Amino acid sequence: MSDNRVRVLSVLVEDGPNTLSKVSGVIRRRGFHVLSITVGPSPEPGYSRLTLQVDHGHAEADQVRKQLERLVEVVEVEDLTGHDVHSRELVVAHVAASDLSGLLEKGAKLLYSGESGATVEFAGDGGEVGEFVDELKRHGVKDVVRSGPVVMRRTA
Amino acid sequence: MVLEALEREGVELIFGYPGGANLPIYQRLPGHPKLKHILVRHEQGAAHMADGYARACGRPGVVFATSGPGALNLVTGLCTAYMDSVPMIAITGQVNSTQVGRDAFQESDVIGATSSVTKHSYLVTNIKQLPRVIHEAFHIATTGRPGPVLIDICKDVQQAEADNVPPERLEIPGYKPNGHADLDQAKAAAIALAGAERPVVLAGHGVLLSHAEAELRELAERAAAPVGTTLLGIGAFPVNHPLSLHMTGFMGTGWNLKAVQNADVLMMVGMRVDDRVTAKLADFAPKVKTFIHIDIDGSEMGKNVRPQIELVADAKQALNAMIPHLPELEKSRGTWLAQIDAWREEHPLRYTHSNGHLQPQDVLIDMYKRCRNEAIVVADVGQNQIWAALWWNYDRPGLFLNSGGSGTMGFALPAAIGAKFARPELPVWCVAGEGGFVMTAQELSVAVEHQLDVKIVLLNNFSLGMVRQFQDDFYGGVRSQVDLTHMPDFVKLADAYGLPAVRVDKFSEIGPAMDAAERTKGPFLIDFRIDPEANVYPIVPLGKSLNDFWEAPDK
Repeated sequence: MSDNRVRVLSVLVEDGPNTLSKVSGVIRRRGFHVLSITVGPSPEPGYSRLTLQVDHGHAEADQVRKQLERLVEVVEVEDLTGHDVHSRELVVAHVAASDLSGLLEKGAKLLYSGESGATVEFAGDGGEVGEFVDELKRHGVKDVVRSGPVVMRRTA
Repeated sequence: MVLEALEREGVELIFGYPGGANLPIYQRLPGHPKLKHILVRHEQGAAHMADGYARACGRPGVVFATSGPGALNLVTGLCTAYMDSVPMIAITGQVNSTQVGRDAFQESDVIGATSSVTKHSYLVTNIKQLPRVIHEAFHIATTGRPGPVLIDICKDVQQAEADNVPPERLEIPGYKPNGHADLDQAKAAAIALAGAERPVVLAGHGVLLSHAEAELRELAERAAAPVGTTLLGIGAFPVNHPLSLHMTGFMGTGWNLKAVQNADVLMMVGMRVDDRVTAKLADFAPKVKTFIHIDIDGSEMGKNVRPQIELVADAKQALNAMIPHLPELEKSRGTWLAQIDAWREEHPLRYTHSNGHLQPQDVLIDMYKRCRNEAIVVADVGQNQIWAALWWNYDRPGLFLNSGGSGTMGFALPAAIGAKFARPELPVWCVAGEGGFVMTAQELSVAVEHQLDVKIVLLNNFSLGMVRQFQDDFYGGVRSQVDLTHMPDFVKLADAYGLPAVRVDKFSEIGPAMDAAERTKGPFLIDFRIDPEANVYPIVPLGKSLNDFWEAPDK
């Protein structure tokens, strides 16, 4: 798996019981590989927005978009790879340390603090989140969950 | 409500099998005498019949099956239709909506099991969805690149009552089936083709689905460009036309492969350019400077071969957009066409016929002399399929039906039955090997029950011939699990099912047996005991390039 085979796609889909399995099914059987997936409601009722990071394997890069577009449940696919985007990922972590200054300096928000330690959240782009996770290790991280990115094209 | 909706879509014929989860539909069926239902003997047979029906007449084939095993028995048939872009509607019963997910009796995840072999699918859990879903399903199955659509209907929905009014306008925001050729690209394609020194056009199933045979011919004649077809494109261009290259691909004709491998411009119309067409991809058409690809499905562009000029469009529309930009070029192509003629002389189709055995090609040549282009040939999969493809000179679409992409053994008999229902005025010949034939032979009952004029030409070589040939030629000569000497006596088998049959061992018996088949009303079977060593030629060794085709040995 190499970075230059990764596509970042923003996909508008119809809500429905079959949608997610059909999207993931296409990715699997075309030999692609999902690195991250986030799903949330779109402003329009009945539609959801997926953000996908997909390794396109041996296929042409554009095949991921084309194969997803063949699905009737998929309304629109935007390939954001290499575009100027806002890419934001959420991290929630539980740490043992009581001194949280290093995390708070990076912009973490304290969600909970108690005898067993503290829970913080952080949002940032991929690089910032990576640095934040490294910083967590210095604070005795007990548990960490990451959302995978949501991506939006920057407007001029 | 299901049946009324089908009537509204113009359905006349259904192939199906009842069971627990579709009983409510079957209960109402006698109240709909306009819907003729054919009771099959296995659901796979129903799917292939619907497929053969659709291929023969262009209308979508309709299949009923119950939940669980009934629906899962359709999977091979759905895949066969999906791979070859055949419009089909499969309506399966599902357990009650309140039982879904509880591992109820005969429950299976049919949507999950069929998603990869359907163009689209629906699980209907509420009666209010049903009118829209059925209307949408027919639209999706038959438009753009056609394909099978499955509707899985919970049993309680089948029993429910509601207003049965489909929406006046379909709104499917994620479905954009009709690409229109970019006119600049069409002009660029025409200029590239006209300017080529050594042009070749290859035509696939998309040309037939789009009814673009006349446009293809006009384009070829104006551009003086030779035309080959894929296995599924047979009928898109007359085989006896002077510009015909006959069939392409790894079992295509020698002169076709020579032309493809030496072309400087290769235009591919309505085809997927799969591995059976390209053989070794890295060596496919190596001298081509400009690949032109026309297909209605944009995802085919660059999936296997990256075109320099792409037209995502219906074949007819794209060809029509190109034709006005083509000057008449017949005279200036002399050298290239003469070269192709020389290759045709040098690499003719030929076969062994001096070893005392009955040769399959002799059978097919006799059939062709009788039928010319006034019959439908439905082939199974294997050697029989390639012989039937190469040794007939099909000049029109819809005369040669076979499972190309999926290569489904057992396709021929049920598909021939479906084709006969679709085109009762045409003789239908089913060409099969004995291996594939026994996979769906139970459908003989359907042919007998409805006294269908389907003539079964069994090319019986007592083995899985294509696999045997591959083992002999490409797998060290180790014959492993291909021996089929223990098979039923096919004449007695036919008798048990109630149709007449004869056995043929000698060349001289071909004519009388064919006479008997043609004289007989209703189904007829001929068990041709052919040369057990007969092979398909030309053939490209697995993994090799199209340049490396083998020809029939001189004997």
